[in-house]
Amino acid sequence: MPKFQEQALIVSQQQMARATYRMRLQSPLIAQSGQAGQFVLVRILDSWDPLLRRPFSFHRLFPREGVIELLYRVVGRGTLLLSRCRPGAWLNLIGPLGNGFSLPAADRGPVLLMAGGIGIAPLCELIVRLLDGGRDPGAIHLLYGARSAEDLLPAAEFRSYGIPVTWTTDDGSLGAHGLVTEQLGQILQAAGPRPAVLYACGPLAMQYHVARLTQVHRLPAQLSLESLMACGVGACLGCALPAVHPEDPTADHYVHVCKDGPIFSPEAIQWHKIQYQRTESPILAYS
Amino acid sequence: MAQNPISANRVPDLSVQLGPLRLKNPVLAASGTFGYGAEYADFLDLRSLGAVVVKGISLSPRPGNPPPRLVETPAGLINSIGLENVGLESFLRDKLPYLCSRQVPVIVNIFGNSVEEYRELAARLDGASGISALEINISCPNVKEGGMVFGSDAKMAANVVGAVRQATCLPLITKLTPNVTRIGEIARAVVEAGTDIISCINTVAAMGVDIFTRRPKLANIIGGLSGPAIKPIALRCTYQVLQAVACPVIGIGGISTATDALEFLLVGARAVQVGTANFVNPRATMEIVQGIEQFLKMQGLQSLDDFIGTLDTRCLFPFAEEVCAIPE
Repeated sequence: MPKFQEQALIVSQQQMARATYRMRLQSPLIAQSGQAGQFVLVRILDSWDPLLRRPFSFHRLFPREGVIELLYRVVGRGTLLLSRCRPGAWLNLIGPLGNGFSLPAADRGPVLLMAGGIGIAPLCELIVRLLDGGRDPGAIHLLYGARSAEDLLPAAEFRSYGIPVTWTTDDGSLGAHGLVTEQLGQILQAAGPRPAVLYACGPLAMQYHVARLTQVHRLPAQLSLESLMACGVGACLGCALPAVHPEDPTADHYVHVCKDGPIFSPEAIQWHKIQYQRTESPILAYS
Repeated sequence: MAQNPISANRVPDLSVQLGPLRLKNPVLAASGTFGYGAEYADFLDLRSLGAVVVKGISLSPRPGNPPPRLVETPAGLINSIGLENVGLESFLRDKLPYLCSRQVPVIVNIFGNSVEEYRELAARLDGASGISALEINISCPNVKEGGMVFGSDAKMAANVVGAVRQATCLPLITKLTPNVTRIGEIARAVVEAGTDIISCINTVAAMGVDIFTRRPKLANIIGGLSGPAIKPIALRCTYQVLQAVACPVIGIGGISTATDALEFLLVGARAVQVGTANFVNPRATMEIVQGIEQFLKMQGLQSLDDFIGTLDTRCLFPFAEEVCAIPE
């Protein structure tokens, strides 16, 4: 699949939840070839600081209109500057990048989706593609958790999909009180019909537990993972994650989120070797 | 369109001669920032580049360092990739044929843990077709053995270059580290040992820490800084190397625009490599070539040779003598 470098016009930008924004961009080349789970690299400013582009997965793709939507959370200086961009401004994009989700065959069983916080971003396009593929909305179940009610997208965003949504918050301010992974554990232990596949996106700590649970319960899963990233095209090899070597399980081996991912099966990653990468940087006054 | 006889409209000659190596223009993609070429083929015409320097190759594949491997700094990037690469065999089989088919000169960056490994790499690449030159990496700050250890000692640097020189007839470029007290001494040693060209600089040893987790930001703790932040250091090193030796020099370090590239050429570099800027703008190399051409036209210069090394260091402010000179 060809990749494009494209000047994209900001059509709109709207705050959707606490520190969470949805940006609509006119980017016809990228919109026409993008798939759910793939991402773009955005150049935030035409200057050298911040130096690197920032990766964002496709929240929605409208190939006919030539429009893409990104949903992002302000976690540092780059996203803060992005949140200040106004409609009418231009941003330079590279994409579509990465492998994207593989869609299950339509006759397979129910699909379970799981989002932690801003991890909801790529799952909305996935839901649309599953529905477009003729899947019964009742057979797509979304588990969606965040720290608090104000961090969640409004329920109205999901109404048109017609799919069941289980809400959780860490502080109990909306839906079930607790972590979204606890809901997953309950579903996998319940006697009812088993999901055929799980798609999950969220913080690395959540994905670690998802990987453990899906492996114990032998549930096929596709996890959207993140890492600090520079080139986005497999040239710099910076966005490495420890992985299982295809031939020698004892050997050191790395996969690269930009090219081999961002969608991985949990078995591919050596979870115990991941060293903490903090992607959220509180911005101190006067800094 | 009819040919305009006025010289300002003629396409200036951008070709450069670096010892035994002739390039159609002075803009190269730097090792480790351009993969094996294919990664950027969707964004630009590889034929528009002077050459591609591929990711450093070792005899056997290397997994690289544990992540996190990147830290962003103001106008800079610290990396500790650790020379992750596919190894010589896979490079020759899977990567080189593609680049050769794209009609762009290929320069292979080589890296070994011992003098013997450098020699063997050079000997085996000497037999491969489609390689324009070798770049000897004795300057990587991210590996425990070899790398910068060789490049920060004049005698060891000369040993590596001498061994490679005996193993191959290919044009040799030696890539120097800025993490030394006197870069001119290292430059003299590698020229005496037989390098045809010097490229400088590799990354500047650097570090980042996190005040919230109170941990280093790189798993390797120390990495190498690149990007616009290091350009003034690279320019100084290029100048000092040119003062020390007569061999052709390729400037590297933070070059992101045509202006940056022209600064190195003015100081006397005969070519430049573009590295981190590729991540910010995949078309950076191509746009730099166009910018240099535009500058030469603007200046009425017919050839890049008329500009290279024309830095006038006699007097910083000739204003008084040129404009205010009073006849006696």
